[in-house]
Amino acid sequence: MIPKQSIDELIYRSCMRLDAKDFSGFLALCDPGFRYRVTAFSPEIRKEMIWLEHDKAGLKLLFDNLPRHNSDHSPITRHVTVYTVERDGDDGNARVVSGLQVYRTTLDGGETTLYAVGKLHDIVKVDGATPLLVDRSVRLDTRMLGIGYHIPF
Amino acid sequence: MSRNAIQWHQKPGFPDTHYVDTAIYTDESLFREEQAKIFGKCWIIACHESELPSAFDYRTFQHPAGVPLIIVRGEDMKLRAFYNICPHRGNTLLYDPVGNAKRITCIFHAWSFDTKGNCTDISRGKEGYQERFKCEDAGLREVKASIGYGGFVWVNVDDESGPLQEYIGDALGMLEEHMSMPLEVFHYHKAVVDTNYKLWHDTNSEFYHDYMHYFNRITGMLQPGYFDRKYTGYPNGHASVGSMSVRYDKYEGSKNRSVGWPGLAPGGWILIDIFPGMTYNLRTSVLRMDTAIPLGPNKVVIEFRGLGLKSDTPAERAERIRDHNTIWGPFGRNLHEDLLGVHGQGIAMREGTDSKWVIHGREENMTIHDEGGMRHFYAEWSRRMGRRANDPFGASPGASPGASPAPAKKLATA
Repeated sequence: MIPKQSIDELIYRSCMRLDAKDFSGFLALCDPGFRYRVTAFSPEIRKEMIWLEHDKAGLKLLFDNLPRHNSDHSPITRHVTVYTVERDGDDGNARVVSGLQVYRTTLDGGETTLYAVGKLHDIVKVDGATPLLVDRSVRLDTRMLGIGYHIPF
Repeated sequence: MSRNAIQWHQKPGFPDTHYVDTAIYTDESLFREEQAKIFGKCWIIACHESELPSAFDYRTFQHPAGVPLIIVRGEDMKLRAFYNICPHRGNTLLYDPVGNAKRITCIFHAWSFDTKGNCTDISRGKEGYQERFKCEDAGLREVKASIGYGGFVWVNVDDESGPLQEYIGDALGMLEEHMSMPLEVFHYHKAVVDTNYKLWHDTNSEFYHDYMHYFNRITGMLQPGYFDRKYTGYPNGHASVGSMSVRYDKYEGSKNRSVGWPGLAPGGWILIDIFPGMTYNLRTSVLRMDTAIPLGPNKVVIEFRGLGLKSDTPAERAERIRDHNTIWGPFGRNLHEDLLGVHGQGIAMREGTDSKWVIHGREENMTIHDEGGMRHFYAEWSRRMGRRANDPFGASPGASPGASPAPAKKLATA
C-alpha cells in the first residue's frame, strides 16, 4: 500500500514542477487518462463556471504553444497544504483535498502578492508502484485575476 | 533615428483627427468630466436579463458615472433600476451582487422599499417625523432601464436622455438576426487593470494589434478574407467590423467549431463597439460582452460575459464553454494578451512619464488595419466633451478650448 506521505509528496511535487515551469515533469506525474480543470462559482450570474478544462494531450498542447504567445512572465508560487486523503472509493483511488494559495512575484523588484486562493481536489491512482494524478480540479475562491495568466494553476 | 525632447513633443504629422494627446488617458479632471458628460448621459449595460430570472431577483451594478445601482425584477416581471442608496442616511441598501428581495430593507434603521421603489415602511415613522415626513417623501431614486439587443439590461442615469433605440440606432443591425433567440450568460468575471478605460475600448476598436495574438495571426490574418473586413461607423460613436471565416483548425490543439451560432457562417466573427465602453464580440459559438467601468483615469474594471443560447443542450453548452476558454476567460490565449497590452499602456502613460501622443493614423480604405474605428470614437468623445482629443486643454496656438468638432457621422468621414 502506497503510504500517505507518497501521496502528499505527489501533490507537492506537482506544484513545485508547475512553479518551475517543468511542464513535462508535471505531466510525468499524471496518468494517461488525466483530466484537469479550473472552476469557480459566480454569484453574479448564479452559476458554476469552468474556466479551463483539458485532458493530458490538451494540456501538453497548451504547454507547447505557450512560447508562441505573449504572456506575463511574472513567476507564480503555489503554496499547498494537503488537508485530507481518503481511500475508501470504489475505484481504489485516493481522493485528496488541499488548500491552495497562489502568489505572484514581479520580475522587476521581486514584490510578492497573494494572487489567488482556492482548493485542489485531486484523484490519485494508488494501485501502481508510484502514485499518479488521475484528475485535478482547481476550485478557485478568487475570481478576480487581473490581466489573467497563461499557465494553469 | 531617435528623437530629442523637442522632436518627441512635436505634433505628429497627421491631421488633428489622427492622433490624441495622452493627457486624455491620465488627467483626473478630464476623467471627472467624462463621468458627467459621457457616462452620465449614455446608455450603459448593467447586466443581462438571465441574471435576474425570477420575480424579486436583484442585481447590483456600479455605474461608471459613479452611482451605485440596483436592478430589480418586480412582481410584474418588469425590470427597474434604482440608486442603491437609502434616502434616510445614505447607507447601501443591498450588499450582495445578487439576491431575491420582496422587500428591500436597509440594515441601518430598517426603512423598507418595494420593487417599484416605493417606501413601504419607516420604522417608528409617526413617532419621530409625525406628519412632517412620510413614506411618500422617501421613495428610491429611479433611473431609466430598458432591455434589448440580446436581452441586456441597459440603464441611463440621465432623466432627460432619449430612448435606448435612438441611442443605438442601426449600430447593432449586423447582429440583430443573431440575437433573436433568448440568450444566457454562462461566464462572468471582472478584471481590474491599471489603465484608462478608453485604451481598452481602443483595443476592441482596432485589429492592427492582431500582431500580438499568435492565435489570430494563424487562424485569421494569414487566411483569405481577413484584409477584406471593413469598419462601419454609426452615429453616437458606435462602430462595427464585418465578418470573415476564421480557420480555427490552423491553431494546433484547436479545431473547427462544431456548434456554431444561428445564422452565423462557420468561423464567422462580428464585432460591434458601443460608445463609450461596451463591445459585442460574436465569434462562432460564443457572444462575449465587455463592459468597461472606469474607476479613475488610470484604473478600470472590465466585466466580461460569455453568452450562449438559453436553449442549449448540455453538450452544446459544454462546447461553447470550451470555445470560449480557448481564447477568452482569465486563462484564455487572447484575453490575457489584450489585457497585457493595455496594462503596458497604463504603465507607460502614467502621469509624469512624458508620454505625449497616441497615433491613430493608419488609412487602409477602412479595412481591418485602418485605425478609423478609434478616430470615429474620438470624434464622438470630442463632441460630447467639447474638447479636442488631440488638444484637450486648448494649448495649441489658434485652438479654441471647448470648441466642439462637428457631430460624428459615417465613418468614411472620420
